[in-house]
Amino acid sequence: MKKKILSLLMVAALAVTGLTACGGKDNKSGSDSDVKIAMITDSGDITDMSFNQTTYEAADKFGKDHDIDFKYYKPTENSDEARIASFQNAVADGYNVIVVPGYLFAPMIVNVADTNPDVKIIALDVSEFDITDAAEKANKKDYKMPSNVCCFTYSEELAGYMAGYAVVKEGYTKLGFLGGVAVPAVIRYGYGYIQGANAAAVELKKTADVQINYVYGGAFAGDPAITAVMDTWYKGGTEIVFACGGGIYTSACEAAKAANGKVVGVDTDQSGVIKDSYGVDDLCVTSAMKGLAATVTATLQGVLDGKWDSDYAGKFSNLGLVSGDDPSLNYVQLPTETWQMKNFSVDDYKALVAAMYNGDVKVSNDTENAPTTEIKVEYFDNIK
Amino acid sequence: MEDYVIEMLHITKEFPGIIANDDITLQLKRGEIHALLGENGAGKSTLMSVLFGLYTPEKGVIKKDGKEVKINNPNDATDLGIGMVHQHFMLVDIFTVLDNIILGAEPNKMGFLTKAQAREKVIALSEKYNLSVNPDAKIEDITVGMQQRVEILKMLYRDNDILIFDEPTAVLTPQEISELMKIMKNLAAEGKSILFITHKLNEIMEVADRCSILRKGKYIGTVDVANTTKEELSSMMVGREVKFAVDKAEAKPAEEVLRVEHVSLKSKLHNNDAVHDVSFNVRAGEIVCIAGIDGNGQTEFVNGLTGLDHFYEGRITLAGQDITKKSIRYRNTHGMSHVPEDRHKHGLVMDYSLQENMILQRYFEPEFSKAGFIKNDAMKNYSNQLSERFDVRSGEGAKTIVRSMSGGNQQKAIVAREMDRDHKLLVAVQPTRGLDVGAIEYIHKEIVKERDAGSAILLVSLELDEVMNLSDRILVMYEGEIVGEVDPKKTTLQELGLYMSGAKRDERKEA
Amino acid sequence: MKNKTGFMRRPGVQTLIASILCAVLGIVIGFLILLAINPSHAGEGIWAILKNFFKYNNNTTTMLYYLGSTLVKSLPLILCAEAILFAYKAGLFNIGAAGQYTAGLIASLYTSLALGWSWWACLLSALLAGAFWGFLSGMFKAFFAVNEVIAGIMLNWIALYLANTILANEKIMDISKSETYGIPQKGIIPGFMQPVFGNNQYMTIALPLTIIVAILIYLILNRTTFGYELKATGYNKDAAKYAGMNAKRNIILTIVISGAIAGLAAGCHYLTGIEHYSISASVPAMGFNGIAVAFLGGLNPIGAIFAGFFIEYLTMGGQYLDTRYFNPQIADLMVAIIIYLCGFVLFIKYLLNKKKSAVIVNANAQTTQDDGKEEQ
Repeated sequence: MKKKILSLLMVAALAVTGLTACGGKDNKSGSDSDVKIAMITDSGDITDMSFNQTTYEAADKFGKDHDIDFKYYKPTENSDEARIASFQNAVADGYNVIVVPGYLFAPMIVNVADTNPDVKIIALDVSEFDITDAAEKANKKDYKMPSNVCCFTYSEELAGYMAGYAVVKEGYTKLGFLGGVAVPAVIRYGYGYIQGANAAAVELKKTADVQINYVYGGAFAGDPAITAVMDTWYKGGTEIVFACGGGIYTSACEAAKAANGKVVGVDTDQSGVIKDSYGVDDLCVTSAMKGLAATVTATLQGVLDGKWDSDYAGKFSNLGLVSGDDPSLNYVQLPTETWQMKNFSVDDYKALVAAMYNGDVKVSNDTENAPTTEIKVEYFDNIK
Repeated sequence: MEDYVIEMLHITKEFPGIIANDDITLQLKRGEIHALLGENGAGKSTLMSVLFGLYTPEKGVIKKDGKEVKINNPNDATDLGIGMVHQHFMLVDIFTVLDNIILGAEPNKMGFLTKAQAREKVIALSEKYNLSVNPDAKIEDITVGMQQRVEILKMLYRDNDILIFDEPTAVLTPQEISELMKIMKNLAAEGKSILFITHKLNEIMEVADRCSILRKGKYIGTVDVANTTKEELSSMMVGREVKFAVDKAEAKPAEEVLRVEHVSLKSKLHNNDAVHDVSFNVRAGEIVCIAGIDGNGQTEFVNGLTGLDHFYEGRITLAGQDITKKSIRYRNTHGMSHVPEDRHKHGLVMDYSLQENMILQRYFEPEFSKAGFIKNDAMKNYSNQLSERFDVRSGEGAKTIVRSMSGGNQQKAIVAREMDRDHKLLVAVQPTRGLDVGAIEYIHKEIVKERDAGSAILLVSLELDEVMNLSDRILVMYEGEIVGEVDPKKTTLQELGLYMSGAKRDERKEA
Repeated sequence: MKNKTGFMRRPGVQTLIASILCAVLGIVIGFLILLAINPSHAGEGIWAILKNFFKYNNNTTTMLYYLGSTLVKSLPLILCAEAILFAYKAGLFNIGAAGQYTAGLIASLYTSLALGWSWWACLLSALLAGAFWGFLSGMFKAFFAVNEVIAGIMLNWIALYLANTILANEKIMDISKSETYGIPQKGIIPGFMQPVFGNNQYMTIALPLTIIVAILIYLILNRTTFGYELKATGYNKDAAKYAGMNAKRNIILTIVISGAIAGLAAGCHYLTGIEHYSISASVPAMGFNGIAVAFLGGLNPIGAIFAGFFIEYLTMGGQYLDTRYFNPQIADLMVAIIIYLCGFVLFIKYLLNKKKSAVIVNANAQTTQDDGKEEQ
C-alpha cells in the first residue's frame, strides 16, 4: 500500500514540478516606445467577421507597422464584471492604450477610467448617452468624462441610407432588413436603409412596387430559427436582405444562396468574406460600411503623435461625412473597390454622397420612431 | 502413481493480516467426486479463487495432468477446462436461458448469431441429464432451482471436464437435490472430475468419493468417504462435536397471534394466483413451518403477510387486530418481526454499517432519535449489545460496513435485530440459508428459545431437516395452496415429499 | 488480529486521492494541449492559468478582489453540486438541476425586476421555484414511474423556454442591450466582508449562506433520520421498503430539496448583480457542471465546496493566457477535461482497492471477502 501512496505522490510531484519548471516570466517584447496597445472583445470573438474582427485587425496591423506590442483580451463571460477584470488584467500586463469596441463597455469605462488616469481608452460605438446612463446606474451623479477616454459613434443612418438608395436604384423592389439586436446603431442602419429605399422609390416613381420586410433577429449570430425566417422571406419573393449585425449575416446568406437571393453587408466590405464562405460571386451586392478601422488607426496614430490631449481627451465624436468630393475619406460609405452594381454606378454614388454632404439630402437619425414612408414597410416581431 | 487431473500443492495465500490459505494441498482424481468441506471462512472460496486465477498465491503450485500450469485469470482456467457453478448465479435476468448459456461463447457465422445449433445442443444436454430446462424462458421468470440448472448447463455446454460446484444444494428442494446427486454421479461416470464445495454432510456421504477438510485456513486432511462417518467429518470441520438434532421441549401453545383467512395474491408471471385461498393460524409459543418446494408461492405469501405486497382478498389478523391493509411500518411496529428470505435484497443495506443496519426499522423511535437527529451513541451501544448477545462478529465493530462481513454474520445480525425487536410474531424465511453447521445450530437454538419465551413463530423453509427438527406443526404449500398439515412427530420425509410434490392433499378444514 | 483499516483503504482518503489525481491529470493534459499548440510558450501558459489572480500579488487589494470574484462565481456551481449530490445519495440522478436552476433564475429576476421585491423575498421565491420544478419531476417519478432523468431533461427545456418568454417582459429585458436590467439596490443580496475582498461589490452573504447549506446537507445526510432513510433508499430501495420507509414521499421530498438548492443557486448568482441574463438557446450549463463538481468533490457536501472553487479558479484562469499564443478558451477545454476525468474518480478508487492481480470480473468477490473477515 505504501508503494501506492508513493507512486501517487510521485505523479503529483512530477506534474507540479514539471509545470513550475516551465513557468517563466512574461516575455517582454515590443519597441522602445512606452505605448502598449490592448483590445478587449465584447460579447463576440475576434473571429466574428464583423465588429470585433475589424477592430482587432486594424489595431493588430497598427501594432505591427509601428512595432508596438499589441494583444487582445477576452472576458470570461458577457458581464461588466468580466470586462472590468479583463481591463485590470491588461493594465497589470502594462498595456496603456486600450481599444474597446461596443456600447457594452460604457459601464466598464465609468468604473475604471477615473482610477487609471494613465491608461487611455478608445471606445468605439459608445455614445454620450451610454456613458451618462451607465454613470447613473453606478450612482455617479454629475459624472464627467475623464480626459483619458475618447468615445466614437457613427452616423450609421447615412450608410444605411446609401445602401437602401443604391439597391432600389439598382432595380431591386422586394427588400428585407435583418437586424441583429435592436440597439441604437442597428436601428440607425435600419431606419436609414428605409429612408434611402423610400427616396429612391419616390424618384423612380415606383413607390407602389417597392416593399421592405423589417425584423430583428434577437441575436448577433445566425442560427437555424433565423435562417428559417430568411428562407420564408426569400421564397416569398424578397430579393435582397440587408443583414445588419455581427454574425447574423450567415443566416441571411444561407437562405439567399438557396433561393438565388442577394444580401447587403454591414460595417465592413463583406463581399470577399461572403464570396469565400458561400462560393457565390455576387451574393453580397454592396455593404453599408462604417470606418471602424480608420478610426482605430487614426486615433492610435494620434496617440503616437502626441495629439491625444488636443484632439481626443474626454471627447465624444460622431463620425459621418467629412468630404463631399472624395467618399473614401468619409467614415460612412459603400465599397467602391468591389463595386458590383450596374444600374447604379460609382458616379451615381458620388453624386449621392455630395448631395448628402451639402445638405440637399437629409437623413433622420431618430431611433425612437420609424420613418414615415410612401413605400410599404412591414415590421415583424423579433425572431428570438 | 495416481491419475490426478488437478493438483493444488502447498498453496499459501495471505491477505493483509490474514492467512486465508495456509499450506493447503488438494488433489483431484480423474472421474471422482471430491468434496471440499469447511465452515464459512475456512478458506474454501479463496482456494477456488486461486484455482481460477483471481488471486496469485504467495506459495505453492498448480498442476494439470501432472504438469505445472500458471493460471493468471479466469480465461486461463477456462482454457484448462475448469468450469464453476457459483453460489451467487452469474445470469442476466432479462435474457433467456439459451442466451445466458451461450453468453461469452456465442456461436456465430461471420459475426451473425447462429442460435439454432446451440439451441439443439442445449436441449440435448438438458434431456440427457434430465434438467428439463426451457431454453426460451427468461431467467427472471424461473425459479432459483431452475436458474442453478442453467448454470450447470452453461458448464456442460462449454464441454468443461473439471466441474466445480460451489454449495449447489443450498437453494434446492429434496427432490431437486437427489436429482442433482444423480446428475453429478452421471457426470463422474462419464469421466468428468467434480469438486463439490459444501458443508452438508448428508450430501457428502451420499455422493462423494473423497473429502478434503479445511478449517480456519488450514488443511486438516483428506478422507475416503466410504471409511468415515458424518460425526467424524463434522468434528474435523468445526474442531469439536456437533449436535444434529435440536434440543427442544414440548410446545405449549397459548393464545392465537396470527390468523390468516382466505388470502390470495395474483402471480406476477402467470395469469393465475400465486397464493390461493390460504388460511391458517399461529399461536404464541409454537413454531409453525410452511414447507414446500421452492417456487410454490411461499415467497409471495410472505410478501403479502409482511406488507411487501398486497393480497387482493382475504384477511390477516395479528394479535386480534386486522392488519390486512396496514403499511409495512405499521406491521413492523405492531408486533411483526421478519427475517427475510433474501438478506442482500431486503434484509440489509449492504453499504451501511452494522450499527445502522441494527436500527433499520427503529431509527425513528425515541430511543434512537431526537428531534429528527440520530443518536449516534445510542445506536452504537445498541449495536454492540446485540452483537455481543448474538455473537455477531465483524472486523471493526459497530462501524463495520456490512458488505465486508461474512454471510453467516450478516444473517446473525438480521436474526439478532428481528428477535430483539418488540414482537409477537416472528416470520423467519430460510433463516439458515447458506450458513455453516455452527451458525445453523446457533440460529436454531435461538428460534427455539424465542418460542419458549412466548413468541409465535412462522418458519418458511426449503430444508427438510430444518422443517422436521424445528417445527411443532408443518403446513405444506403446493402451487399457492396449503395442501396439508402434518405433525412432525408423526410424519415421515416420504409423506412430506408426497404433499410437496402435489401427489397428496388434505381436504382443508377451516383454520 | 488487528482490525484497524489501512489509511489508504479508508473510503474518504481514497476519494480525496482520486479527486486530486483527476484534477492533476486534467492540468497535465491541459499542459500537453498547450504544448501541442505552442511548445515554446506552453510553460508560461499553464503557469498563467495556475497563477491566476495571484498575478496581482503586488497589489493585495486587487488580488483579494479577484479572489472574491472567483469565490462569488463558484457559489452557484457549489450549490448546484450540493443539489446533485443530495439527490444522488438517495439514488436519484437529478439531471433536472439545470432546469431547477433556470426556474430559480426566472423567479429571482422576475420578482426583483418586475415586482421590485426585497432581496430576501426574491431569494426565497428562487428557492421555491426550484423546489416546485423539482417537485414536478419527483412526482412523475413517484406516481408515474417516469425516470427522473427523462423528466428532468424535458423540464430543463421547458424551463429554458419559459425563461426566454417570461423574461422578455419589458420591465425585465433591456431591449437595447438584449440582456436583463441591473438588479435594483433593494434586490441585491446584502454585502459580506466586502472591504476584505478589495471592496468587491458582488461579495454578499450568499457566501456564508452557501457554506451553511453545505454544512446543513452534510448534517442532514449523516446525522438525521431523514438522511438515514434517504441514503438507505439510495443504497437499497428494497431494504428501505422492507424497513417500512415511504419511498414515494422520500423521492419527492429529495428532489424538492435538491431543486430548492438549485433554485437558490440561481438566486445567489443573479441577485448579486454580477451577471445579467440574456435570451439563450441552451439550458444554463451551471446545473450540468454541478454534476462534475459533485463527483470531483467525492459526493461529499464539504468536498463540493473545494471542487467548485477549483473548477471556477481554472475557468477564470483562462483569461490570463497570452492571447498572442493561445486561444483563451483553452482553460474551458481543461475544465472540460477535468469534468470528463471526474467519471474516472470511481475508476481510480477501484484501482486503489484492486488487489494484486485481481481482474475486473471478480466473480467470487463476495464470498472471498467473507472468508477473509471470518478468520479475524
